Amino acid sequence: MDEKILEIEDLVVEYKTERATVHALNGVDLSLSKGESLGLVGESGAGKTTTALSILNLLPEASAVIKSGDIRYHGKSVFRMNDKELQSMRGGKISMIFQNPLTALNPVFTVGEQIAVVLRVHQGMSRKAASERAKELLEMVGIAGYRIKDYPHQFSGGMRQRVGIAAGLACNPEVLIADEPTTALDVTIQAQILELMKELQTKYDTSLLMITHNLGIISELCQKVAVMYAGRIIEYGTVREVFKHPMHPYTAGLLNALPKLEGPRERLVAIPGRVADPQDLPDGCRFHPRCEGCQARCKEEIPPMVRVNDDHYVACFGAKEGI
Amino acid sequence: MLKYIGKRLLQTLLVLFIVSIFAFALIHMAGGNPALLLLPDGASDEAIKAMEHELGLDQPLYIQYIQYMIGVFQGDLGMSTAYKIPVADIIAERLPYSIKLTMGTVLVGCSLCIPLGIIAGSNRGKPVDFFAMFFALLGNSMSAVWLAVLNVFVFSVWLGWLPSMGAESFSNIILPALTLGYPMAAEITRVGRSGMIDTLSEDYITATYAKGISRRVVNWKYAFKNALIPIITLVGMSIGSYLAGAVVVETVFAWPGIGQLTNQAVGNRDYQLVQSLLLVSAALFTLINLVVDIINSLVDPRVSLE
Amino acid sequence: MDKRVILNRMRRNPFFVVGSIAAVVVIVLLVFGPMLIDFDPEANSLTERFLPPEGFSKGLDGHILGTDQLGRDVLIRLLIGGRYSLMIAFIVVVLQVVVGTILGILAGYFGGIVDSIIMRACEVFLAIPNLILAIAIMAILGTSLVNLIAVLTFSGWVNCCKVTRNNVRVIKNQEFVKASRVLGAGGYHIMFRQIFPNVTTHIIILASQRIGMTIIIEAALSFLQLGIQPPTPSWGNMISAGRMYMTTQPWLVFAPGIALMIAALAFNFLGDGIRDVLDPKRTAV
Repeated sequence: MDEKILEIEDLVVEYKTERATVHALNGVDLSLSKGESLGLVGESGAGKTTTALSILNLLPEASAVIKSGDIRYHGKSVFRMNDKELQSMRGGKISMIFQNPLTALNPVFTVGEQIAVVLRVHQGMSRKAASERAKELLEMVGIAGYRIKDYPHQFSGGMRQRVGIAAGLACNPEVLIADEPTTALDVTIQAQILELMKELQTKYDTSLLMITHNLGIISELCQKVAVMYAGRIIEYGTVREVFKHPMHPYTAGLLNALPKLEGPRERLVAIPGRVADPQDLPDGCRFHPRCEGCQARCKEEIPPMVRVNDDHYVACFGAKEGI
Repeated sequence: MLKYIGKRLLQTLLVLFIVSIFAFALIHMAGGNPALLLLPDGASDEAIKAMEHELGLDQPLYIQYIQYMIGVFQGDLGMSTAYKIPVADIIAERLPYSIKLTMGTVLVGCSLCIPLGIIAGSNRGKPVDFFAMFFALLGNSMSAVWLAVLNVFVFSVWLGWLPSMGAESFSNIILPALTLGYPMAAEITRVGRSGMIDTLSEDYITATYAKGISRRVVNWKYAFKNALIPIITLVGMSIGSYLAGAVVVETVFAWPGIGQLTNQAVGNRDYQLVQSLLLVSAALFTLINLVVDIINSLVDPRVSLE
Repeated sequence: MDKRVILNRMRRNPFFVVGSIAAVVVIVLLVFGPMLIDFDPEANSLTERFLPPEGFSKGLDGHILGTDQLGRDVLIRLLIGGRYSLMIAFIVVVLQVVVGTILGILAGYFGGIVDSIIMRACEVFLAIPNLILAIAIMAILGTSLVNLIAVLTFSGWVNCCKVTRNNVRVIKNQEFVKASRVLGAGGYHIMFRQIFPNVTTHIIILASQRIGMTIIIEAALSFLQLGIQPPTPSWGNMISAGRMYMTTQPWLVFAPGIALMIAALAFNFLGDGIRDVLDPKRTAV
């Protein structure tokens, strides 16, 4: 196996709210290797964004509590880094693209400034050099360079996401975390943005953590996929393997819920029941109330992640090991 | 930009037009004959008639209003019945004092409290935040009446450091500026704090942290500029209202600004002066607001689009 | 909002706790205090001028806070003056809210020409600083309690109107309002049964914050001899009269000054607390 850049180990994160405790992450294990692109898929509320923010140690201080577990970047825990180490990691070595381009850019600064600042901070560029480079980056993502002096509100959503990507890639980061970068965009714009990300990722050999609920994006962009449900990874493996032979009933359900273009039209099969409520999680396997193959032990024990083959791991008692 | 300013100027003129009608109507509700007040006691009926004619009081009301407005556009705000000199001259004499006091107040209000609000907002729930909130609430609760008297008692009567009235030297401005400045500082702290709290919860601040920017720079450069927008609005409105007359404070400290003048005019039943003062206050206040909006559109690029 | 969340926030908000206790204490003192003291707030007694505060050395029968330049007991004047302030503030705020809310709902709901007229009216009122407007009107209408209440109402309804109007414009376009229109509900029903309940939170917050402010403006007017007229006591005119004797009889300004500050603080604390408690945007602990 290649060198692991990023390792998440048994991460448990809770949010304290006035009403209740939200169990956002309940033991996430995940790793990312050099140059790899990993898709993290799951419904809203499954803990995808929390995972992404945890990696940069950017969880909201007031409400989030890291109960246990660790995230290591090149073997060093991000929770034990000092401010300086954190700052040089954020934006320089690991950068992030946010879900909603309409709110992720500061409205009172020019887009040029918002790209250039990354270069000034991480590469020590002068104001002028940074601004020149910001111009090139804008052009690289397909926006005319003279627009660096414009403000975010003068751009469309898709253009703003391009700005976000330009800022994310400004310092050739080792890892790019993209948190549903296309969810807020029109379908045609989505395709362009994805194309751009794919192109830039291969060009710079950046590792990619692609967070999405769109399986199509994963199959398009990623080699590996991790399926998340109620704050845990329930299935992991290569995209080809997992999508072809989903072992977990949830993954199978997700794939079944996709309309197919080829073959005879079939009824779409929705997964019955509701997404697990992170304020009130079921015992045992979090998925058991919605699972057709639910057995007695599913209601009591949490299934461990087991190896199916080198390219496929699953956390389900119903799945047979080592096929 | 020009179009925006033009539109705003038109709106301002409309508002001032209504204010002028309002002030005119209000003064005429008061009754009394200005001609009598301008003439010495026991003037003859002819003299009264002549004066009424000279002042246009024998004309119907709408003609009187139109004549008044024509005068206003020519810089003639009428005659003060108490001082027997043109209202415009009196206002011109008093306005510089109001400007001086306003500048002093803004200096007091802004210097300390913009930082305090920012620090409080970025340390929500910590002791410094609690202190700032207490300071702000206390400032909001200090009526100018009580604070002015308290300041006189402490600094003039008790410590004897500062003069309690007049406007001759620099030391005269300190107490009135402090008295006006504290509530303003309190309000700035409050607005700055809540602006900061709102800003810091925005996605783009998380995104800024994700770029590896330190907390200090995020607070003082990036979030600061967002939080500054409501502060600018507030400071502008305060400037407008202090220029237009800090009546209580100017009265207590015998500071000869527009506020004291308004109080004196009311006391003297000098209605011509009151009418023009209403108009001038409104003009100052709305024009300052216009300037503030223009400044805001420079700080906040989104504004000019509206 | 959830009742439990509100109660929880109330208990945990120091401003709300302190403010509500202080406000209750102030109200109880002003309402029942005068019953315990056996002096006439307006009767002069030239033999008893400028008596210094006696504290509780004679129990409730002495001049606890001394007497003023006309020999009147300061404490009873303080309490009666406070009653006026508080009563005026409550009446004024209620009137401001009623006027502001109705106009705000009309402006927000109908939009167009109605909105333009009401908004221009707001701008006119905003163009003249509150106190200047109040002074001019009081000077011309003459000083009476009714005029004072009218003037204070007049100069403060705009805020409530604008906030309500902006809220209504948002709510008007929400599904439940559209739905009730489709079901054939009339304008009156939609405005006051459907929309109104959704703007009450903001109105309560605004009203609670205006009480302290109104007390302060009333004191300023009375201080300038344009509010409550002597011999009827009010904190403003007591400070104004006591100012002459500041060096020799400081209790004459300190008593009403401190009373004014405490009352304003109590209601401002409460107002701030209420805002924090009811703030629908707030989610964190």
